[in-house]
Amino acid sequence: MRNKFQEQIQRLKAAGATYVDARWYPVEETNQLMMWNGNLKTVSSSRESGVGIRVLYKGAWGFSASSDVGNLTSLFDKALDNARVAAERVTFPVRLAEKESIQASFKSPNRIDPFSVPLGEKVEFLKKLDEQLNQPGVAQRVCELIFMRKQIVYFDSEGSEIEKNIIEVFPSIQVMGVDAQGESHSRKFSPSLSGATRGWETLDPHLFSENAERIVREMNEVLVAETCPTDQRSVILLPGIMYLQTHETIGHALELDRILGYELAYAGGSFVKLGDFGELRYGSPKLTARANATLPNSPGSFGYDDDGVAAQDNLLIDKGLLVGAITGRQMVEEANVRAGKAIFNGSSGANRATAFYRVPIERMTNINIDPGSDGSLDDIVKNTEKGIILDGDKSWSIGSNREQFHFATDIGWLVEDGKVTRVVKNPTYKGETVPFYNSLSAVGDESTWEVRSVDNCGKGQPNQVMQLGHGIPVCRFDNVTIGE
Amino acid sequence: MKELILQTLCDLRAYALSKNVDATFFYHEEESYLMRFANSAISLNTNEHLIRLEITAYEDRKRASYEMITDLSKLDEMKQGVDIAAEMVKHAQALNYQPTVPAYGETHIDETSYDAALAGIGNEERLGYFNQAVAGLETDEIRLSGIFSCGVNTIAQITTRSEHLQYFKSTDAQISVVLSHSTLKWEVIAEQSAQKKTELNPALLRRDLAFLLERYLHDTPQQLPVGSYDIVFGSAAIAELISIMNYIGFDGGSMKRGFSFIAEDQVGQQVFSDKFNLTDDPTRLETFPFRRDMTGMSREPFPIFEQGIFNSFTWSQDDADEFGATPTGHTVMHNSLVLEGGGREVGTLEELVNLPRENDLLYIPFLHYMNIVNPSKGLITASSRFGALLLKKDGSVAVPYNVRITQSLSDIFGDRLAWLSRTQTVYNTSMSYGARNPTSIVVPAFLQVNALEISHSNSSY
Repeated sequence: MRNKFQEQIQRLKAAGATYVDARWYPVEETNQLMMWNGNLKTVSSSRESGVGIRVLYKGAWGFSASSDVGNLTSLFDKALDNARVAAERVTFPVRLAEKESIQASFKSPNRIDPFSVPLGEKVEFLKKLDEQLNQPGVAQRVCELIFMRKQIVYFDSEGSEIEKNIIEVFPSIQVMGVDAQGESHSRKFSPSLSGATRGWETLDPHLFSENAERIVREMNEVLVAETCPTDQRSVILLPGIMYLQTHETIGHALELDRILGYELAYAGGSFVKLGDFGELRYGSPKLTARANATLPNSPGSFGYDDDGVAAQDNLLIDKGLLVGAITGRQMVEEANVRAGKAIFNGSSGANRATAFYRVPIERMTNINIDPGSDGSLDDIVKNTEKGIILDGDKSWSIGSNREQFHFATDIGWLVEDGKVTRVVKNPTYKGETVPFYNSLSAVGDESTWEVRSVDNCGKGQPNQVMQLGHGIPVCRFDNVTIGE
Repeated sequence: MKELILQTLCDLRAYALSKNVDATFFYHEEESYLMRFANSAISLNTNEHLIRLEITAYEDRKRASYEMITDLSKLDEMKQGVDIAAEMVKHAQALNYQPTVPAYGETHIDETSYDAALAGIGNEERLGYFNQAVAGLETDEIRLSGIFSCGVNTIAQITTRSEHLQYFKSTDAQISVVLSHSTLKWEVIAEQSAQKKTELNPALLRRDLAFLLERYLHDTPQQLPVGSYDIVFGSAAIAELISIMNYIGFDGGSMKRGFSFIAEDQVGQQVFSDKFNLTDDPTRLETFPFRRDMTGMSREPFPIFEQGIFNSFTWSQDDADEFGATPTGHTVMHNSLVLEGGGREVGTLEELVNLPRENDLLYIPFLHYMNIVNPSKGLITASSRFGALLLKKDGSVAVPYNVRITQSLSDIFGDRLAWLSRTQTVYNTSMSYGARNPTSIVVPAFLQVNALEISHSNSSY
């Protein structure tokens, strides 16, 4: 089979293609179980296989995909034909940054393959969680397990051949209750990625048990809480919301295809301009952010991207200064030419596709914020005069250039004179991205740092859902509007 | 091809019966094409041909599903899927209600939403459409983005409970054309939805783009003070606001689970303005409708709001089974929502701009990244995007930087609803997550809501 791909790639090169790659998925499987109020509403599995072909011809891309690998010649020809048509409208001929030819493989670290675990065992795991959540005040309880497994074999016309075998596990629990005014409130928990592996062994019953008790208790506190005040104060974002703040206003804002206008028809652009790299004070000196695809156990770590570039750890924001972007091979070349100088040295290895039938685009890896030197959460609270601690991603809405945002969280704890005073319900906060990050006044230490996974990041047309991660400490921002 | 699909489903049914497996089969086939533009070039030209088969096995109160991407030559592989689903259901847990396994009373073949001409449209025609839509409008500074997405969608179903089948075949096209300024970071948009090739009309898009471009190139941009405005929403914004009610409004299951701003006892009560009439109308072909739902129930026009009075929740079969309600024919991949037009004769943007007005009007054509802040209150938040205008009472026009609104649906469609256009527009709300599912909503071209707050206003594009 591998020889057939190589033969087709060489055939298209001979026909005038300047670059060809193929991503063959011999197998991709998902397994999802969802228990709602004790009802096993979803028990589903899926399996797919196929191949996606990407062809560069006279500076334009063509792509074609099929689940039928029996007629590769037709499929490769279709991709070339699509590129030929695209070549009729080229304004900036696509060029790809240099890379090495790689023969390698990557296997995500797992001790127990979740697909080897009997379904009955998975159901029992959910039943126990459901029983723990079935407490007074809880009107709705949801327990979910999602498992993914994919094998990807990548070939390109530059001599690379890379095989990846990746397994992901996404567990979560959630409770909802109704307050005296008839409003619904929820709390949820999904574990941070604390170990060195990401298989079935990461589903620690004790951890879930502790957190089941915690989220029920906190939700019941919200049900009898006063509404969040509307004012300006410091917001202390726990990793359960700071990961999303980072995702939306650092991660997406620094995708180079967005910056260059390739998402303007749909997801939007970015307030960041090419001239901002090395110049823009994105945040206070306490802010250091990086795209680190080398974390040992995150879905944002994948060995090699779908350009065949090795995973990297790159600075995005260095002590507040914007220095890097999330890139693939194509965009860095265009950005450097448009900027008239070499802003980027090469691809940052972040071009990924969600499936064989989608084309790779710039995607986040693990977009992390480095731990700071402001101590534990308690230390930060002690040093806060008037603030609110926020946690839980209830709602998020971001301006089309990622320039402003509005978030709602599941719970808030007011802080007065260095002490937590009371819980409030329906907390929200809003801001403008650059002023917000420049108001970053405290960053928690390693004790506050957690790696959160994201299993549903959407981008692109046709839309692609991607899995990734965020390593995040507790962060405090000053003079933020809350409660609107 | 239709015969092969139907025969394959019959073969799978026979196989399941031979194994004593109670099952439903859901076949989905898409032939999708997407030409995407960015920076005035074709940034992606792609096509996918995918066949998905979902097999759900039932064992009394237990059920389990197995989905595969396959092709029609792989009958043995599909039969293995039946075996896998049957094995899975043994290990599933019983629901606390009895799930209904559909039994189709008759075979239903619906190809009324299929247009051979649209199915046959090619690369050159897609490119030609875009070239016409932006003819003479692009410059070094003004760049083209957008998509031309089209395809053929086929759905077929059978269950072990009867020998009858359901078959739906449709064609659709969704076009977005965006012109953006290369350095100022503003964008204007024009969009079109088509079910037939004859509905494609790039000249209409060019007219709207040229009009907006003129405004954005020459009128004074400004930051609006936050506060109260009379706001006219365009069809895209209206469709987004209506669409979100699928999730937090009239869906019975969502209501029972605490995700609705409409309470169970509000049936028959005034919820919105008496100008508000919303129907799920599967007779409107523009909505890529299902005349039968996935359980075989016949679907007829279903009034949801009549003169602002909430008429009924919609119930899918599974939610009805779980909560003891009567299904309403809403086990569908999408509804066919139609918001009735009103009395105002305003059908085009030019007519809106020329409308005599006593107050400044803020025109918001598009709501970006809408999310639900509080489902119990119907509170949503979103930003303006793509060609907002401030229509001043003196007749002049200014270009506002983007603003954010955080408002409840009751405030938007309640007493402050001033008027709706008589002219209706088809707005394509298809998402491309997962399988192709062409969806559109019929809405008035414009509607005006008075005294709505904007809570944030950008200081630049």
